[in-house]
This record gives sequence, C-alpha cells and structure tokens, in this order.
Amino acid sequence: MIIDPTAPPISTGVVFEAHGLRKVYHTGELDVVALDSVDLELNAGELVCLLGASGSGKSTLLNILGGLDVPTSGSLVYKGWPLDGAEENTLTQFRRNCVGFVFQFYNLIPSLTARENVALITGIARDPMTPEEALEMVGLSARMDHFPSQLSGGEQQRVAIARAIAKRPEVLLCDEPTGALDVTTGIVVLEAVERINRELGTLTVIITHNAVISEMADRVLHLSDGKIVKSTRNASRQSASGLKW
Amino acid sequence: MIDPLDQKLLRDLGKMKGQVIAVSLVMACGLAMMIMTRSLILTLESTRSSYYQRHAMADVFATLKRAPLAVAEELATLPGVATVEPRVAVDVILDLPELTEPATGHIISLPDDGGPQKLNRLFLRSGRFPRPDERREVVLGEAFAIENGLQPGDSLVAVINGRRETLKICGIGLSPEFVFEARAGETLPNHKRFSVIWMNYRALAVAYNLDGAFNNVCIDLAPGAMPEPVIEAMDRILAPYGAGGAYTRKEQASAQRLDDELRVLHSLSFAYPLVFLSVAAFMVNAVLSRIVRLQREQIAQMKALGYSSRQVGVHYLKFVWVIGVLGTLMGGIAGRFLGAGLVDLYTMFFRFPTLDFRLDYSALGLALVISLGASVLGVLTVVWQAVKLPPAEAMRPEPPADFRPSVFERIGLTRFFSPTLRMALRNIERRPWQAVFTAAGLALATGLMVLPGAMSDSIDYLLTFQWNSQQRQDVSVFLAEPSSGRSFHDLEHLPGVIRAEPIRSVPARLRFGHRHRKLAVTGIAPGANLNRLLDAQGHAIALPEEGLVMSAKLAEIIGARIGDEVQVEVLEGRRPVLNIPIRGLVTDFAGVAAYMDISALRRLMKEGDTVNGAYLALDHLRWDDFMRELKDTPRVAVVMIKRDQLAAFRETTGKSIGIIRTLYFVLATIVAFGVVYNSARIALSERSRELATLRVVGFSLREVRRVLVGELAILVLVALPFGLLFGRGLALLIMASFSTETVRLPIVINHSTYSIAILVVLTASVLSFTLVSRMIAQLDMVSVLKARD
Repeated sequence: MIIDPTAPPISTGVVFEAHGLRKVYHTGELDVVALDSVDLELNAGELVCLLGASGSGKSTLLNILGGLDVPTSGSLVYKGWPLDGAEENTLTQFRRNCVGFVFQFYNLIPSLTARENVALITGIARDPMTPEEALEMVGLSARMDHFPSQLSGGEQQRVAIARAIAKRPEVLLCDEPTGALDVTTGIVVLEAVERINRELGTLTVIITHNAVISEMADRVLHLSDGKIVKSTRNASRQSASGLKW
Repeated sequence: MIDPLDQKLLRDLGKMKGQVIAVSLVMACGLAMMIMTRSLILTLESTRSSYYQRHAMADVFATLKRAPLAVAEELATLPGVATVEPRVAVDVILDLPELTEPATGHIISLPDDGGPQKLNRLFLRSGRFPRPDERREVVLGEAFAIENGLQPGDSLVAVINGRRETLKICGIGLSPEFVFEARAGETLPNHKRFSVIWMNYRALAVAYNLDGAFNNVCIDLAPGAMPEPVIEAMDRILAPYGAGGAYTRKEQASAQRLDDELRVLHSLSFAYPLVFLSVAAFMVNAVLSRIVRLQREQIAQMKALGYSSRQVGVHYLKFVWVIGVLGTLMGGIAGRFLGAGLVDLYTMFFRFPTLDFRLDYSALGLALVISLGASVLGVLTVVWQAVKLPPAEAMRPEPPADFRPSVFERIGLTRFFSPTLRMALRNIERRPWQAVFTAAGLALATGLMVLPGAMSDSIDYLLTFQWNSQQRQDVSVFLAEPSSGRSFHDLEHLPGVIRAEPIRSVPARLRFGHRHRKLAVTGIAPGANLNRLLDAQGHAIALPEEGLVMSAKLAEIIGARIGDEVQVEVLEGRRPVLNIPIRGLVTDFAGVAAYMDISALRRLMKEGDTVNGAYLALDHLRWDDFMRELKDTPRVAVVMIKRDQLAAFRETTGKSIGIIRTLYFVLATIVAFGVVYNSARIALSERSRELATLRVVGFSLREVRRVLVGELAILVLVALPFGLLFGRGLALLIMASFSTETVRLPIVINHSTYSIAILVVLTASVLSFTLVSRMIAQLDMVSVLKARD
C-alpha cells in the first residue's frame, strides 16, 4: 500500500482513527503493556496535548502515530489508509511525506548548517517549501548558515521544527519539545509550533509533562498505565506567549 | 568474585565481539608471520651451526689441477692453519638405466683408512663407509638417492675418466659442504640429475692420474685466525699447481645459498609483519576511541562513585590488553604450526641430518611487546582525555560537534554536492586524524596485497626471461677440462644437434679499485644465438670484438661502469694479468658472469680453438639418440638440460614461493576484511544517531545506507591509490633485499596484481557494507533518538 501524499490536504475531517490500539514490549521474561485498548480520533488542524507521568504510554502512542513503531494489535487508520501492519516502505513514505517529528534533543545533523538540515527533507519530500520559507516560519532567517554548534538550544529546536514542517506535513508530532530548554526559550519554541498549527492547519500533537503547556491545546488527552483515562477540551486556547511556568 | 569493572569489561567486549575478533585476527596475522619467519631463522641457523660444528665444516676451500701430497703438508705449516684435508674431486657422468639423460656425479675422495674425513665429515644416513682398499664402493648423496630410489646394496654406472665403471652403493650420506646439493654454478637444485658421491682416495686418484697428489683442498683455520693471510699464502703456494684461487666458506656455493635463504627470511621477518601490526594498532585506536566516546557518561559515573582516574584508565587499557593477548595467542599458535609446516619445504632445498622446527620464544615476546606497545601508545591520549574530564561535565550531554564548511565548499565547489556528500566531507574534515588513521589502515591493508602478487609476477617474468629469451639452448655440456677444438666437433656432430655454440670458460679474478670477485670469464661466439646476452629491456647485446660484457650486478658489486677498465687476473694456464674495458652490461638473475668474444679470449690465453663445452639446440625427435650417445662421449663431465632445470625449478622454488605467496595472500585478505569491517562498524556506531534521525524524517533504508557508505567509500577510494603506491614500495623494498649475488628477483608488478589488490579491498568493502547495512535496518530509531549524545 502506498500512502498518496499528493492527495489534497484536507483541513477538516479525521486524520487519525484508532481502535483498540495495544502495544506490548517483550523485555526478557516480562511482557510490558505500554498501550492498552486506546481508541482515538484526531482531526485536521487540531492541537492536542498528551499529558501523563513517565511510563504512561505517551511516547509509545506518539511513535505509533508517527510510523516509528507498529501496534501489537488494534487498528490505526491515517486518512483512510491503514497503518497497522504496514510494510516498512509504506511507513518510510508515510514519514517522508505526511509526518514531521520534533524531539526533546533536537537531533540535528551536526555536520550540516541550519539550511542544509532542512534541505535534507526538502530534497526528498514531494511538495516541500523551500528551506528558507521553513526557517522563516520559525524566525530563523538570520541564522540559516549557522552550524548546530553555533546555535542556542532554542534555536536548534526551532531548526528541528523547520525541518519537521518543511515537507508541509499533515501531522506534526512533538515529544517534549521544551524539555531541555529554559522557560523563555521554551515559549519561543512553542510559539513557532503554534504558528505552524494555525497557519498551515497541521494536526499537532505535543507530549509534555508540563500541565501549563496543555493550556495552548484544543484538546488534552490524559494517559495513565497505557490508557487514555481522561479527555478534556479547552474552552479557548491560551496563546503560547501567555504561558507561564 | 570478579571485579565489577572487569565484569563490565567482559560484557562490553562481548557486545563488540565482531570487532574484537577482527582486530585480534589482524594482529594475529602479523604475529603469526613474524613468529613463523623468526622461528624458521632460528631453526635454520641453529641447525646449521651445530651441523657445521659437529661435522667440521671447513673454513677455506681451493681447487687446483694437480699437486703432490707434500704440498698439503706445506700448507699445514702455514700460520693460522689448523687442519688440512687434501682430496681428489671430479665431475663424472652417471648413467642410470631409467634415465634417458645423463646425470652428473661430483665424486669426492675419502681417506683410504675407511674412517671419516678430518673436515666436512660425512653424516651417514644409512649403510657404512667404503671398506679400505675397496675400489668400487661409494657413499651416495641422500637427495639423489631418494629422488632416484637408490639404497645401499644398489649399484650405478659412472663414466670415470672415459671408462664405464659400476659403483656399488654401500652407504647413503650427507655432508655440511653440500647442505645445498647442486652442481657448481647452478642456482637451483636438481636432485634427480645431480649427486655428490664419496669414494676411497686411491680408487679415484689412480683413475685420474692423481695418485700421491690432490686437486682439491680444504682447510680449517686455527681459532681466531684471519682467513685473508691464509688465502694469500695458499694462492702463492698453489699457483704453480694450477689453482683457481682459494675462497672462504662465505663464497662456498652451498654455504652461500644457505646465507641467501636466511637473508630472505630476515627481510621477510620484519618489515612485512610490522605493517600488519601497524594496521592492528590503527584498528585498536579506532575501536577504543569509539568506546571511550560512547562511554563518556559511564566514565563520569565511575568517577563520581569514587574510582580514580588511574583505575578508570587501566580499565580502558584492559580492552587493548585483552585484544593483544587474544591476538598473540592466535598468532603464536598459527605461527608455530605454519612454521613447522614450512620447515618441510626447506628439506626440498637443504639437506641436514635433522631439521627440527624450533619456536623462537623471544620473537613471541618481542612481537607481543611491539603490538601491545603500538596499540597502547595509540590509545593513551584517548584514554587520558576521557579520564581527565570532571565528572559533572562528562555527565552533561556533549555539545553539538563543531563543524564548518569543508575545504571543497570554501573553494566554491558546493553546488555540485548533495547534503549527504557534504555531511561525509565535513565529517572527514572535522576529525581529520580519525579519517587519516582509517584511510591509513585501509591503505596498508591494500598494500599488503601487492607483495604476494609481485612475487609471482616476478617469478613468471624471470622464467620467461631466463628460459625463453636468454637461454635458448636445450642442453649445455661441459667437459672435464679444457680440450681442443676436436671435442667441440664431436659434440657438434652428435645425433640430433641442430646448432652448437662453443664455450670457453677461464677462471679469473676481476679487480676494480679495491674490490674483486673470482669467477669464470666465458668466451662465446659473436652472434651467439643460444645463450644470449640481454639488456634490461630484453634486447640482445652485440658482443664487442674486444672488451668485457658483464652482469650488471657484478659491475655494481665491484663499483665499475661501462667504459671502466677492470683488471683481469686469469687463474689458469699462463695466468696473464690484463686490463680490459667494460663494454656492456647484461641483465641476468642468477649468479654473476663476465663474457668476451671467444676469439679475443683465446688470443689472450695464447691458445688455439680450445673449448670447455658447448650450448646445443636439439632436434627433439632425436632426443633419446642424442642422450644415449652423449653418455658415452669422452671428457663430458656436466650436462645441464634446460627442461629439467625448469621442471626442477617448478618443483622446488616455484612450489615453495607458491605456498608462501598463498599464505601471505590469505593473511593480507584477512587484514583487508578486518580493516574495512572495523571501519564500517565504527562509522555505524558513531553515526547511529544521525542515521536514525534520517530514518525518522523519512529517508528510506537505501538512502540512509548511502549516507553511511558515502563516507567510507570516500576513504576507501582515497586509500586505494596510496595503498597501491605503498604496496609497490614495500614489495620493492622486500624483494630488493632478497636480491643476492647468487639469485636476484627481477622486480615486476603486473597490472593484474594491482587489480587483484583493488578487487579484494572492494569486495571486502562491499561485504562489510552489506553486513553493516543490515545493522542499519535493525537500528532502533526511537531509543537512539531519545538517548542523549
């Protein structure tokens, strides 16, 4: 199965639909249930926060959504295409064209400049923006030719965001994007995420420990022991710049 | 209970066992080779010295025409002379019923009392010495006896001074004088066609009119005596008796060959294995640098727990130690067995009463010290940098590595490069030393592939040059002594002879400045077409009417050039001394020689049409007729048959070089694979984070592989030409040190040798990349990304 990235982006409607998602890790003699009967619907343009303690299953869920991992059982459908049990090639195509990732530790290629890090993606995606456009969106036009070692942590994370969104993904997945940053820098990064979500209509999922960050979301999913134990909807989204912690 | 750090060491080593095996294998290859050659040297040297001592190998040798035994007594009174043994020694034709072609026997007299000689004493393998006054009993050389299936009790026919005599074999023996059993002037043994034979003095002397006289003498020097004054005095005393000049053990054919072999072993025992060990040292450095970098946090933890820098340092040095001990164990065992196996090869060339392999333990120790020393030196800085870091700092994630545009971009080539190529180039440029070490390891491994190929290329060239271009005769026949033109006429008219060219050979001493050499000046006919004189390019050299043409090697030895006049002191007949200019240099690969126009040489000797022998080309249909007649031709003493020599060469030298070549090739291949695999593994582990990132952002496996392979491929491509150049240099160096006065190897390296080296390294690369690519597929993207650097 090939996921067709040329299908027109739909700004409304269901992006992910999951039923009974379950993930079991076999570690030695123990089976660890990381995710248990998760049902979920994520819509285009939404900003969703996953809240929960360590080991609650947030990252596992994010990785499965992003095609970095496959569920042990249950179904996961991305815009009509089943992802559970998909082939490695399908998942590569999915990651290449539909998903952008942002991690806690930026994971930039140290030997490439900011522009080149972004160009890595624009070189292989089907309908990318230019690296300059992407960096402009995260406010880094002035630092495009700097190497990661010449950038601050916040700047590096913004390059990572630019790299994630340069392919115009349907989905942006952020795993603790501010975990390694101080408050001020963290807010700058979240502003960038917010802007992407708003301007490009990208479904954005943010994992965080930090309850304050969830105020900027449309919806907050609370995870515990691999289950979604609560789902709340914010009446109004707090803007990132107004967050304090 | 095992120390927790050692427990960690074992587990860490277990996790990287592929690399541990690769590095220790490479080390083992070098050590095996070193231990093997050093042990062979020890074996040969110790066997030789005890053989020479127990069987009283003489110090000085001389041959002459005929001197009364009283002269030997005079020699015994010379200061510095301890023992004199006068003997009769002659070459005879042997006629074995199973052999169409005649063989040659070199008969040496034994004291008449039935006891052993005073010097060069026989070692009896089986049977007994001839009984006193027994005329027909002989002791036969062992190699010939084995080759021809002869035993005590059998008999063989010899043409002794023109008369066919049936000799009875009473014993099989060997002598320190003939450890290398070959005809005078022959560089390779042909045990089927040549034998040393010992028989009672009287029987032999009477047959050659030498009763009460001798034509060969050997001398043992008193302890501490210098050979030169003795030789000078001997030459003076023996000159009136037709002596050809005395010479020392160093110039004695068999002893010289043994020296040459030891020299070859010496030259193989150091440089070549050292390259293996250097490669291993590079590999150890690369492996350990990586471990230390990856375990930065663990090092901080250990120090935070209270381990001292020294303890942590020692812990990491133990990695090297384990690899070194593993390599030494494997290398020691392999070297021992390879050496013991190769000792058997030497019995093809050298005959000793026993040749038992002796392991050179000092080489084992030395090798261990060299390899461990080099490896430890290579990693000391890495370990030091790791342990000196304060724990708190080490526990923080490492800041992103510092990069800058590569030199290619700075000079403006950027637009041609893809991001992945830029990554590769910048990575190389950022850790230039690591890149240099990796490329150096690859280059050395490539270079090691050249020597084995070069050895066979050179042998092939030698065979073609010597046997096809230079020696075009089928048979060379030498007479017992210089004879009139009628003898040549007889040879020329033997059945089946198509072409015959006369040989006149005169013993002489050539002097230039203070250097000199004793050899035979050979007169051949101008335009001679059978034994041709060739220059380095293989073109025939026209023999000038006057003047000498000599081996380029001889000119080098005496330090003369074309146009220089050398003093030629003839050691035969009227013994004229003349200055003769060098007119040309010939390229030859065995022994050294000097040539003159045969007429010029005869004029110099003031003689007519004297000959010593002839080169003959034969009609192969009449081969058997020719040989049958030749066996009965009077005065013929030595017959050299080219195709036999070639076969003997293939059986002995060819075979042994083939074995050594294969061995070296296998070892070099192991190194090539080890180095490439190790480099690929290291690159994979260092770049796993980047590769995982690329996978996450949507690069396919194939694209990610290209990134990793790109950098390695650049290093391999850079290393290849350097490796070939280095290999050429190494081969030249080692093969030049083989080159001796008796045997020289032309240094020829064919394109195919280079191609094979490239092919092996590329194959090793492709296989290693494939192995490592599989590992990329197994990279756990998530956990790699979540881990800090």
